[in-house]
Amino acid sequence: MTQATLHPSEIRMDDPAIFEEGRAHDIFRILRREAPVHWTPDSEYAKGFWSITKYEDIVHISRNPQIFSSERGITSFEPHEVDPNDVNARLYGKMIITMDPPRHVRMRRLVNKGFTPRAVAAWEPHIREITNQILDGIAKKGEADFVTEVAALLPLAVICEIMGVPREDWEKMFQYTNQVLGGGDPEFQTDVPEELRGTPEGARQQINLGTAKMFQYFAQQLAEHRAHAREDLVQVLLESEVDGQKLTDEDILWFCFLLILAGNETTRNAIAGGLLALLEHPAEKQKILDNPGIMPIATEEIVRWTSPVLHMARVAKEDVEIRGVPIKKGQRVVMWYPSANRDEDVFADPYRFDVTRQPNDHIAFGIGEHYCLGAGFARLEIRVMFEELFRRFPDIELAGQPARLRSTFIGGIKHLPVRFTPEA
Amino acid sequence: MRVVVDPDLCEGNRKCELAAPEVFRVGDDDLAQVLIEQPPEELREKVERAARLCPRQAIRLIED
Repeated sequence: MTQATLHPSEIRMDDPAIFEEGRAHDIFRILRREAPVHWTPDSEYAKGFWSITKYEDIVHISRNPQIFSSERGITSFEPHEVDPNDVNARLYGKMIITMDPPRHVRMRRLVNKGFTPRAVAAWEPHIREITNQILDGIAKKGEADFVTEVAALLPLAVICEIMGVPREDWEKMFQYTNQVLGGGDPEFQTDVPEELRGTPEGARQQINLGTAKMFQYFAQQLAEHRAHAREDLVQVLLESEVDGQKLTDEDILWFCFLLILAGNETTRNAIAGGLLALLEHPAEKQKILDNPGIMPIATEEIVRWTSPVLHMARVAKEDVEIRGVPIKKGQRVVMWYPSANRDEDVFADPYRFDVTRQPNDHIAFGIGEHYCLGAGFARLEIRVMFEELFRRFPDIELAGQPARLRSTFIGGIKHLPVRFTPEA
Repeated sequence: MRVVVDPDLCEGNRKCELAAPEVFRVGDDDLAQVLIEQPPEELREKVERAARLCPRQAIRLIED
């Protein structure tokens, strides 16, 4: 109720509670209407930044990497003092997600052939098989934590197979991903002293530790690939050249780090958030049960509705204006995708979850240079998961409240209790 | 109006083919081919939609 009278100057987009408590869309609605280019001032932990909430402005920023750079990090949190040992600073310019053209284009071309719609389509039978193995795991129980027992496992399995991570190590990849991308949530701050849990310093330490573990793991993988060549993406990277130069080990390790994180945290939340939306809108779920053929269209709506990546940031390389608001060179602009995907100027009835929505020009995968490399896999995994889930467990329902991730970067669901009629 | 696809950016997402099949076709190499380099005015709206929807913004429209 107080939301209706909230003034933009009272809104701080660095507050993870907005997302943890499920209040984000009320805030975004206010920002789009009253302050579409909105300043969150410096805090004791991070520098101030601009929040961009209109679809059109986010497309504009995305299309102009020569002005809005990715090289100085792509999240909203930039510390006042850049500690060179901190992941936040070390990743500057190192991953394709933190590169600008022309290097970005060259590096992305090393891997993108494996991610085109045609390449991805070949995976469908295998992804269906993995999906059914996952569902076998809950089939007789009649209840499950849909996130940890189902939604997380499919994207994790697929990215691990692409990267050649053996099955016995998948659980590690899941843990490390949670510790990096969920490092701001006390639940995943398992490596830091108790008194730091839930604090920004605890988050910083946990993210650094999770990153170190991921690097150590893949450094070992590189050594094993050098001893015995394999057929996976790590091998492709080891043999790749850019401008006649082999990639450095550091280049490859950052690549692995990015692909594992991006490949498993995001689709997990689209699947979990998608099921939550479908169970909260039973008429929409019924449409899919009646006609599973609409799943490709429904998938787009699930992605629009959940927008699992909450933001990407850019740094202005020159003084520039957005909607007449001056942005200074060096300042950070944060593009809020869930807001763009509820923009009243683009979507008819944007707050309606409609599995038959067409057109549906959402930008949950971003747009432009940095358009999600794994979008094809995400779409396929979401579609196949719901096709198989509803075929086998059509009466699946909520058995409790979702637990949301404390993060301003990933719109995550940590746990989602469900129940269903078990298979005989 | 002239239509150009940047082969460095195109990843064969086929949005252009769906939006303007008269003008774009994605080949087996996952690259969009431009079938009509200077499409007639009546196709403008479709071509503009294709350019707008291209996930990697690989399509450029150059006005004469």
